[in-house]
Amino acid sequence: MAARGAPPALIFACVCALAALALMTWQLFDPRVFPIIVAMSAGQVLGTASFLTYLYVVANDFRRQLRQGKEPGKINEG
Amino acid sequence: MPTSPLAVIALGCAVLSAIIQLAYLIVRPPLVRATKVWLLLGLGILPIGAAFAGNVQGFEATKERAFCGSCHLMTLHEQDSDDAASLSLASRHARNAMFGSENCYTCHADYGMFGTIVTKAGGMRHVWMNLTAYRGVSLDDAKKTISLRDPWKMNGNCMQCHSTRDPLWLKVADHKSVLDDVRAARVSCASAGCHGLAHPFFVSPNPVSP
Repeated sequence: MAARGAPPALIFACVCALAALALMTWQLFDPRVFPIIVAMSAGQVLGTASFLTYLYVVANDFRRQLRQGKEPGKINEG
Repeated sequence: MPTSPLAVIALGCAVLSAIIQLAYLIVRPPLVRATKVWLLLGLGILPIGAAFAGNVQGFEATKERAFCGSCHLMTLHEQDSDDAASLSLASRHARNAMFGSENCYTCHADYGMFGTIVTKAGGMRHVWMNLTAYRGVSLDDAKKTISLRDPWKMNGNCMQCHSTRDPLWLKVADHKSVLDDVRAARVSCASAGCHGLAHPFFVSPNPVSP
């Protein structure tokens, strides 16, 4: 999986994180009720989902490498 | 353009994070150790920094008069506080540096250890009421129904600064005569017979008064 390019889950994580960042920065330019509530709710949820997805992908990759009996982190570098 | 340090930190983290994510989406490199480290920065550390600084900045923004005035029902209150010629209690306090642009929050916030949390939770109730009960209600109609939820708390907020223990304050005969009632919130400092309503154009239907 890893050596063949970007896993779809990481693409999803990046898109989620970009959306979260957009919502979180909107409140900085327009500090009214709706942008602030959206930033602190939807922005946080999307950002958390993005980071958890990243952790899941990395943990999955690590576990797969361990199962293959290779040293994690070095397998994909060659 | 936001200029406060927190906003700049939040923006900086967000921009750097977005650059890393966009680079990943465009290049789509294999998931090697370096990619994981870059993504840890772009999806974890920098967005967490942006969220933390942005949230603190957001909480600070909710204390500003402009934020309170962004709901249509508070337009008159905001205009009155901004009016340097107004003699209302709210406006006079807004001209005091201790209150300044945060005068709504300073007078209406609950105090105590959990005051900020209680106030923010109460603010969510205001948002809910604004979106549901008062969404299509005109300012003139709203004036007739909006009132303080806990008017008895207001004297406590006044007494954060005006302690009622100062000899000069106690020299005033009217203060002395209602001292116990003021402390027990049976008489409001901001009632018609005393210092007048804080927002005289917005008469509460159930004020605390003698």
